[in-house]
Amino acid sequence: MAFGLRWAGSGVFLATEIRVQLHEWLAIVTGTLTPGALLIFVAILAPDLLPVTLVGGLVYSMFLIGQRVLNEAAYIRIDHKLNELYHASPLSPEGYFVGIAGGMLVAYLPPSLVLLVILEWLHPLSLVAALALVGCLLAVWAVSSAIGYVVSTLFKDMKTIWPYSALLTNLFGILPPVFYPLRLVPMEWRALVLVVPTSAAAALVNAAAGLETLTRGETILAAGALALEAFVLFIFGIYWARRMARER
Amino acid sequence: MATQVRLESQPQRGRVLPAWALIGWRWVWRSPAAAIVPLLQPFFFLYFLHMIAPPEYFPLQVAGAMLFSTQNIGSWCLSDSAVFRIELRLQDIFVASPHDKLRYLFGVAFSNLIPAIPALIVLGVILARVANVSLTGWAVLIGCILIIWVLYSAIGIAVSSRLRSQREVWPVGNLIFTLLGILSPLYYPLGILPPIWREAAQLLPATYAAVLVQGALGLVGSANLALDAALLILSTAVGLAAAWWLYEWRER
Repeated sequence: MAFGLRWAGSGVFLATEIRVQLHEWLAIVTGTLTPGALLIFVAILAPDLLPVTLVGGLVYSMFLIGQRVLNEAAYIRIDHKLNELYHASPLSPEGYFVGIAGGMLVAYLPPSLVLLVILEWLHPLSLVAALALVGCLLAVWAVSSAIGYVVSTLFKDMKTIWPYSALLTNLFGILPPVFYPLRLVPMEWRALVLVVPTSAAAALVNAAAGLETLTRGETILAAGALALEAFVLFIFGIYWARRMARER
Repeated sequence: MATQVRLESQPQRGRVLPAWALIGWRWVWRSPAAAIVPLLQPFFFLYFLHMIAPPEYFPLQVAGAMLFSTQNIGSWCLSDSAVFRIELRLQDIFVASPHDKLRYLFGVAFSNLIPAIPALIVLGVILARVANVSLTGWAVLIGCILIIWVLYSAIGIAVSSRLRSQREVWPVGNLIFTLLGILSPLYYPLGILPPIWREAAQLLPATYAAVLVQGALGLVGSANLALDAALLILSTAVGLAAAWWLYEWRER
């Protein structure tokens, strides 16, 4: 396989996906419900953790975009059989993958902006923290979109996909310290959770915002792991999109 | 082509319930994630709450997780009946068969209870270890679980009958069942909610189930069990009537 990337049709497909997703306003609204529920739990049971939970909500929302990629790619392929048409068209496989992922990112950004406004109100971010937030959220989007797309191609019916989607969001979003601070995790587990993309992103943003303390080694571990995972998985997503196109 | 069939001449009784149980079991057997996720889902939430909440709420949260898991069956019923109707076109066959609307509703609910049972059993074992539960407490808990199962399954199937595309399943199911799950005080006492929220929560049957269970298990201070039970039955009856009204058995 040639390593050069082909982007034919990417812009048009991205615009199509944004338009399709913006019509799914109910899905956009309901995507905020789980972070909303956890925020409410925290507001009632441990209000002092709210800023950390808001950062977690932003990270989780980005991870959820990947799960929407999973659903959308599966829906296009299984229900509508549209991807065969796409692959037969001048649209490149790279453009197909990045178009879905990018369309989801744009469409699902508004609820995240609401969370960001609340975070700014409760705990204003410095320039460094804001930059860390943007960088980490983009890395989580890259990781999650690639996982979502690859997983979507492994199944033959929509019903089988839903449990895996739920499992992934829980394993990456609820279990590791995304909605709760890293300091509540036992010391011997800290290195492990810092290589999980979602908890690494949350820990880095929290540290940059002064909500959490990370040692230099932990910062390097979290930032290195997140950057590597984002790069490798996104490239793998593109490779997988090409492979799927070639098979058809 | 429509064919007139004298349904009364067809067998009206049969092993419908075991057949639906088999559907539930086959689903678990064929898709390991389908078995694992319902089992793990309440524990993810419990783990999160264990990290952030005062430890004295833990028994209450375990009981709440049992009700939450039961409530979630409604969401699975929603997705299952949508797949049966929209993708597999199975509901048309059921409509044409002697299998009536009520048995179909109950069958889908029963088949979705099967994957939830392991989680409920494990949570029950945890509850027995962290709280001293009397026989009455267990009876109240099981009764509330059965009521919530029937009600939320009916809501899920009724809402599902109005969906036109599988694409709507995830957002609509998530919206209804997450909202209902958040609004009802399953994981904390009703008393710690802000006043407006508390009043909104009191419109939901799961709130009375939670309050009744918390009272029967002695997990909250004072409780008027008879009143809570009456309100649970009343709100459930209203919810079932609404679901029956919403439910569309034959497509127009």
